[in-house]
Amino acid sequence: MASIILSQVTVDFPIYNTGSRSLKNNVLRRVGGQLGQSRTDVVTVRALDGIDLELKGGDRLALIGHNGAGKSTLLRVLAGAYEPTLGRVTSQGRVTSLLDITMGLDFELTGRENIILRAILLGMNYDEARALVPEIEAFSELGDFIDLPMRTYSSGMALRLAFGVSTAVQPDIILLDELISVGDAAFTERAVARMEEIITKSSILVLASHDPKTLLKYCNKAVYLRKGRIEDAGDVERLLDRVSEELARSGKPAKGAA
Amino acid sequence: MVNAYAEERNARAWRDLAQGLASWRIWSLLALNDIRQRYRRSRFGQFWITISMAIFVTAIGFVYSTLFRTPLAEFVPFLAANYVVWFLISGIVTESTTAFIQAEAYLRQEALPKTIFVMRMLLRNFIAFGHNVLIVPFVFLFFATPPSWAALLALPGLVLIAVAGFLVGLVSAILSARFRDLPQIVINFLQVLFFVTPIVWRPEQLQGEHRLVVDLNPFAAFLRVVSEPLLGRVPPASTYLTAGLSILVLAAIAWPLFTRYRGRIVYWL
Repeated sequence: MASIILSQVTVDFPIYNTGSRSLKNNVLRRVGGQLGQSRTDVVTVRALDGIDLELKGGDRLALIGHNGAGKSTLLRVLAGAYEPTLGRVTSQGRVTSLLDITMGLDFELTGRENIILRAILLGMNYDEARALVPEIEAFSELGDFIDLPMRTYSSGMALRLAFGVSTAVQPDIILLDELISVGDAAFTERAVARMEEIITKSSILVLASHDPKTLLKYCNKAVYLRKGRIEDAGDVERLLDRVSEELARSGKPAKGAA
Repeated sequence: MVNAYAEERNARAWRDLAQGLASWRIWSLLALNDIRQRYRRSRFGQFWITISMAIFVTAIGFVYSTLFRTPLAEFVPFLAANYVVWFLISGIVTESTTAFIQAEAYLRQEALPKTIFVMRMLLRNFIAFGHNVLIVPFVFLFFATPPSWAALLALPGLVLIAVAGFLVGLVSAILSARFRDLPQIVINFLQVLFFVTPIVWRPEQLQGEHRLVVDLNPFAAFLRVVSEPLLGRVPPASTYLTAGLSILVLAAIAWPLFTRYRGRIVYWL
């Protein structure tokens, strides 16, 4: 059974200006005398602050919060890409993060080579990787383009391939930053259908979105992030109401809770 | 608490190494793609690696054999063996600086072991070396240099370069992700190193205390554990000793650095 447990997860981002990134300045600072300036000019931004979160099979979590609240950082922590500065992450199950579906796609490689590369990155062997090709080929409607370099593709074709490759393997845990919308209307329909299928079969879904309709449709619980902290957790509808209420109170027009 | 953290970091570093090495399919495919990409759409493809090397060795061979008043038949095989190995070493050192920077898209999204990207860089350079080393038998044949069984000793020498290359790769990939001037510093450093390492000149041409330039230069040691066997000579024990000690020192630097900063790398990208 898939599960993710975060306890007291804190993530600090160092922001380097060009000065502190340079080795020369670092050495000179240590060699030279104190000139009264601060010892270091590294600014850290606390992106997540003491996050406690427990997800188990069947959970469909909505991440709600304004831009910069820490939604994307939290998704990257859940993916295992960011190791927290403090705190602990324990997770079980195959995680697929659809945060950047074009990850690892190489525009000089053909569609087929890209499919195999991505499958190998998922930990498959070459036979398993090759076995994936026909299905993705059919889904992304590439036709003969499958054996041409990806740089010859239209942007729609590239996105269809990226989407097909990213969703070809059923994950236990799905991490999504906005529901993906790709290509023309006909393809979008098929993409949504495919997405819904892997979401249904998955054990855990974490979805960050600004669209209340999407969140209400796919999620059964929610977390409201503000300034890197969990401000509130519980029912999706209640939290969405709270967010739009807060927006209204702060005087800004509530443009679809965006 | 502090101890528990340190212990966990250590366990994670070992896991990264074990899983990284086990993911050979990933790094070998990435390395092959790197090589293919560099020469895609060119007529000779990756054999441009070999051609470039042949042109360099021929040209520099003529110039320096005249300068040093050494017969071509002696100098060109010497240069070919040395330069091919130097090209491997300097390639590893140069490209290790961008091993993590280049992998940003992967590292920011997935929990892939970091060592995968060091192995990718290492293998990419060994594939290039595989193409370059082809010119050595041609040169030997052309100048009728007899082959020798000592050439087999080049294999353990290559293993030493691989181990040292992995460790250097870790150190310089981590530091370069954090300090973006380092790649430039390394390039300059290597240019100087080319001249103080016995690649185009022989160690015998140095006298007295100048010999220390060769004896204490770890780059010379790693060069000679492969190039000397290629030239049919058995490297002296002192060369192996220098190479072995260098690996120990590198490991003593690389492992604590990797353990301490492995989790931070992605925040620097």
